[in-house]
Amino acid sequence: MRWLLVAPAVLIVVALTIFPLGFSLWVAFVQYDFALGDQHPWVGLDNFVENWKDPVWRASLWRTAWFSVTMVAIELMLGLLLALAMLRPFRGRRVLMTLYVIPLFISPVVVGGFFDLFVRRPYGAANELASWVWPGEVAIDFSQDSPWVYITLILADVWQWTPFMFVILLAGLSAIPDTLYEAADLDGAKPRHAFVFVTLPLLLPIILIAVTFRLIDAAKLFDIIFSLTRGGPGTDTYTTSYYLYQQGFEFFHLGQGTGGAWMFMIMLTFISFWLVRRLLKPVEEA
Amino acid sequence: MTDVAVERAQSEKHGSSRVVRGGRFRVGGVVRFACIAVYTGFLLLPLYWMAVTSIKSQEDQLSDPPVWFPSDPTTLNYSDALNNFNGWKGLENSLVVAFATTLLAVALGTAAAYSMARFRTGGKHLAFWFLSQRILPPIAIIIPIFLLYSRYSEEWLGFALIDTRLGLILLYTVFALPFTVWMMYAYFRQMPPELEEAALVDGCSRLQALAKIAWPLAAPGVVSAAAFAFIFSWTEFLFAQVLGRDEAITAPVALAGMITFFQGNLYGQASALTMVSLIPALLLGILVQRHLVRGLTLGAVQG
Amino acid sequence: MSDDVHHDPDVSQEDYMSGLRMARRDFLIKSGLAAAAIAAAPTWLKTEQAAAAIEASTGGAAVRDPIATTAVNAAKQYKGLSMGRINEAGPQALDDKNFSGPLWEKLTGIKTNLTEAPFAQIRTKIIAEDLAKSGALDSVELSPAWLPDFADQEVLIPIDSLIRKYKAQATLADLHPLYRGLARYKGKTWGFFDDGDVWALYYRKDIFGNGKLKSAYKAKFKRDLRVPRTWDEFNQVAQFITDQLAPKVYGTGMGRALGNPGNQFYFFQQFRANGGRFFNPKTMKAEINNAIAVKTMNQILLQNKASPPGVEKLDFISGWGLWLQGKTAMIMAWPPTGRISENILQRDKAFATLPKSQIVGKTGYARVPGQNGEHAGAFIKGVMATSENQDAAYLYNQWATSPSISLQRVMLPYTLRDPYRISHYRSPAYKKLWKGADKYLETLCEAANDAVLDLSMSGAGDYANALDRAMTSMYAGKDVKSALDEAAREWDSITNKLGVAKQRASYANFLKYPGATGKNTVRKLGQAVKC
Repeated sequence: MRWLLVAPAVLIVVALTIFPLGFSLWVAFVQYDFALGDQHPWVGLDNFVENWKDPVWRASLWRTAWFSVTMVAIELMLGLLLALAMLRPFRGRRVLMTLYVIPLFISPVVVGGFFDLFVRRPYGAANELASWVWPGEVAIDFSQDSPWVYITLILADVWQWTPFMFVILLAGLSAIPDTLYEAADLDGAKPRHAFVFVTLPLLLPIILIAVTFRLIDAAKLFDIIFSLTRGGPGTDTYTTSYYLYQQGFEFFHLGQGTGGAWMFMIMLTFISFWLVRRLLKPVEEA
Repeated sequence: MTDVAVERAQSEKHGSSRVVRGGRFRVGGVVRFACIAVYTGFLLLPLYWMAVTSIKSQEDQLSDPPVWFPSDPTTLNYSDALNNFNGWKGLENSLVVAFATTLLAVALGTAAAYSMARFRTGGKHLAFWFLSQRILPPIAIIIPIFLLYSRYSEEWLGFALIDTRLGLILLYTVFALPFTVWMMYAYFRQMPPELEEAALVDGCSRLQALAKIAWPLAAPGVVSAAAFAFIFSWTEFLFAQVLGRDEAITAPVALAGMITFFQGNLYGQASALTMVSLIPALLLGILVQRHLVRGLTLGAVQG
Repeated sequence: MSDDVHHDPDVSQEDYMSGLRMARRDFLIKSGLAAAAIAAAPTWLKTEQAAAAIEASTGGAAVRDPIATTAVNAAKQYKGLSMGRINEAGPQALDDKNFSGPLWEKLTGIKTNLTEAPFAQIRTKIIAEDLAKSGALDSVELSPAWLPDFADQEVLIPIDSLIRKYKAQATLADLHPLYRGLARYKGKTWGFFDDGDVWALYYRKDIFGNGKLKSAYKAKFKRDLRVPRTWDEFNQVAQFITDQLAPKVYGTGMGRALGNPGNQFYFFQQFRANGGRFFNPKTMKAEINNAIAVKTMNQILLQNKASPPGVEKLDFISGWGLWLQGKTAMIMAWPPTGRISENILQRDKAFATLPKSQIVGKTGYARVPGQNGEHAGAFIKGVMATSENQDAAYLYNQWATSPSISLQRVMLPYTLRDPYRISHYRSPAYKKLWKGADKYLETLCEAANDAVLDLSMSGAGDYANALDRAMTSMYAGKDVKSALDEAAREWDSITNKLGVAKQRASYANFLKYPGATGKNTVRKLGQAVKC
C-alpha cells in the first residue's frame, strides 16, 4: 500500500531524469563541442580540468557563495522582522499581505530587467531618487560601478524573495501555541528571553527548511544576472550558473559545461545534505 | 471518520486562547510601524515604476530627467505586447501549465508524503532524493531533456513532447515535487496519528483515512504547497525557452523576448505584459492568503 | 487605434495594406504628424507595393523578375506543405507574419511555421535542432559570423547545385561584391545574403552648419569644422561639441551595453582602421593587446567622455532614442538610422513605440572615420541539412531575396533589412522615400565598397564575447593594458581549445574574403560599384 502511494511521484521523477542524468554524465566525460564535430571521444577528466583552468570559473564559485549567503541572510532577517511586525492582526493587514506576495509571482528574469531599467542612466529613476537624499548630483552608475552593482543585484534578489521567507516564518510564528508563552510569563521571563528560549527553538526547523530551499535556489542565481548585468562589467558579476549557461549554451562547449554542472551539483548536494541532516534528525527522533 | 473528529482535532491544535497570537513579546508599536512602512515603500517602488512604464509613451521612457507620471498615458504598450509579442498566447499557456502542474504536483506529492510520514517509506534516503531534483543545475540536463522531448519521445511514445504544454507540465511537476513532498511531509508528521487510528478502528481503509481525515486537516498546508508550485511554474524561464518553439510559449518567454531583444530592450511592452500577468496572480494571492497563515501554522513547527 | 489586421495569414495582402493605412491614419492624426505624412507620402504604403510584388513573382506584364517567377512556379508543386522558419523575435518576425509568409502562401500554397527567438537564441535553436534532427526547421536566418561553424558541421546544405538547377545564377550577380562573398565559404555557396548591415556615420547637418559653432571651432583649432575623417579628429570634434553644447547636445553617444549589440563591433572597426590585425597568421597568437589596440581603446574611451552619462550600459535602441531626440551630434550605426531619422519606420505599427524623430531632414551621411566602415552582423537565408523539404525551403529563400521581392522588403519598415543589391542602391522607388534618400543610398553603397568585415571564423562567438566583456570592464575603469592582456589570453585559450591548426586554416580562409582587412576591401580589389 505504502509503495503504491509513493510510486506515481517516484515514477514521474525517474522517467524524466534518468535519461537526462545518464546522458549528461556521459557528456561530462567525452568531447562534446559543437565546433569540434560529431565525434565524441572519451577525454576522461579533461572537461572538469578545463573549468578549473579558467579563472572566471573559480571567481564565479567564490562569488556565488558569498552572493547566496548574503542574500539569504538578508532575506531571513528581513522576513523575520516583517513576520514579527505583522504577527498581530491590524487593520489592513490582509491587504498588505496580498501586496507582499506579489514579487513572488513575477519571473526573476523580469525582476532583473526592471531593476536594470530603474538604475540605468540616463533614463532610470535611481539617480534622481538618490539626489533627493544626497546633497549634490549623484554620478554613480548603480548597475556598473563597484560595489554598487553588487548591491543592486542583492537588492533585486531580496526584493523578490523576502516574501518567501516572510510567509513561511509568519506561519511558523503563528503556530507556536500561546500556552508556552503564558508559561514563560508565569515563570517571570522577560519578552526578550521568551523570544530566545521559546520562539527561536520552535522556529528553528522552519527556518532550516526555508533557508535550505532558498539557499539552493540562490546558489543557482541566473535569471537576474542574465537580465540585469549579463555578467558584466567584464566578468565581475558572473555566477556559476551564468558561467555554465554561457559555456554550454552560447558557445556550445557542452562537454565543459556539463562537467562544470556536475561539479557544481556535487558541491550543492554536500551543502544541502549538511543542512537537511539537522532537519531530518529531530523528525526521526519524534 | 466523522466531521466531529475533524473538528476535535482542529480545536486541540489551537489551544485555549486565540487572542494573543505569537506570545507576549511586543515589538514596539512605532518600530513595528516603521518596519512595515519602510518595507512597503521598498516593495512598491519598483512596482510603481513598472506600472508607470507600461503606460508611458516611448518619449517619456527615454526622458531625462525621468518622468514620474506621464502627462499623456497610452495603452499602446499593452496592445503591442499582447498582439505582437505573443502576449496572449504566453498568458494562456502559462495559466494552463501552472494549473496543471500544481494539481499534479500536489496530488502526487501528498500521496508520497503521506506514505513517507506514516510508514517511513524509503526512510531518509527517499526524502533526500526528492530534494535533490532542486539541486540540479539546469544546464546539466537541459540538452538531454531537449533531445528527449524532440527526438526520443517521438521514437518511444509516438509523439514529440517538444513545444507542447504537456511536456512542460511533466517537467515542472518534477521540479515542484520537492517542495510539495517536503511541505506535506512536515505536515503529516505533525499530525498525531491517533485520529486516523481511531478511524481505522472504526472500519475505514487507509485510503479513506487519508481522504477523510488527513487531507482536510492538512488542507491549509496543501494550499501553501500549491501556491509555491504554482509560483514556480508561473515564473520559470529557461526550460520554457528551450523547449518551446511557437506553440508552447509561456509568459516569461514572451517577456524575455522583449527584454533581450537584440537591438534594445522594449520595457514599455515588457512592463505592460508583466502588469497583465499579475492579474491572475493577484486573484490567486487573495484566494490563497486567507488560508496561508492559518494553514501554515499546522504542522509547520516541529519540535 | 485599431488593433486588428495583424499576423493573420488569412488576411489578403491588399486588406492588410488598407488596414495598415487606416491604422496609420488614426495614429498620425492622433500624434499630429498628419501634415508631415501628407508631405512625404512614402510610396510603400500604397497597395501598389503589394501589387508590384505579386506582379514580379507571377511574371506579370508590368515587371518581370525571373528569379522570383521561377521560384514561385517551381514551388507550386509543394502546395499544402508546412515550412519551418526561424527569425528574430519582435519586429523582424513581422516580415514572416505580415508580408513574406502570407504572400508566399498566396502564391504557392505553402504555409509558414515561424519560430521566433531573441537574436543570440537563434543560433542556439538552430544547433539544438541540428542535434535533434526532427525536421522542424527548413529555412533559417543566420549571421555570417556563424557560417564557418555551421558549414563545417554540416548544419546547412550548400546550395550551388540548387542554384544551377533553378537557373538562378543571375541573382548573385546583382549583389554588391562585398555581400556576394559573405555567403560563400570554402568554395561553396551556403545561402542567400539578405541584409546590408554596413555602418556609416550619421551626423547632424544643422550642428555642423551652425555659424557660431564653426567660428568657435576655427578659433580654437585653426581649421574648419568638418565631418571628421580620422578617429582622432572625431574625438576632437565630439569633445568640442560636448564642451560647447552639453547637456543639450553631446558630440556622440553610442550604446555600449554588453551584448547589446556588442562592443566588439566598435573595436573591430577602429582597430583595423588604425592598422591592427587580429591574429598573427602564422602562430595564431592574438594581437589584440598590442600598442595599436591600446591606442584604439583609449580612443574609444575618449568617445565615452564626450557622450551622455550612462552610455556604458545603454542598449542600441536607447542609443537611437538619444539620437532621435537630437541629443547627439554624430553616431556610427546601422542603416536603419537613416530611415528612423526621417520617421519612416515609426509610421508602422510595429515601431509606433520608437520615439518620433525630432531631427527630420537634419541628418547627413558620411563614411565612418578611418574610411573603412564595419560591416556588422547581417543575415543570410540558409537551408538546414536536417530539413525534409530542402527544395521548398531553398525556393522560398530564392524568392524572398530575389531583386524585386527583396526591394519591397528593404523598404518595409519592420523587417529592419537594409539595401544590399546594386538594384536597391539604384532603385527610383527607394530614392523617393524621403528627401535625401538618394544620398543615403549612395553613402551605403560607398561604405560597402570600403567596408571591413566582422571576424568570421570558427569560434567567432567566443572571441567576440571575450572582447565585449573586456571592453565593458575598461568602461568601468579597469586598466586598458591589463584588460586587453586578459582578453588576448582568453583568445589564445580559445584558439588552443579549438585547435591551433584548425584555427589557422579558418583564419586564413577569413582573410580571403573581400573586406577582411583594410587592404583588400572591395575597392582595393578593383571591384567597387559605381554608386
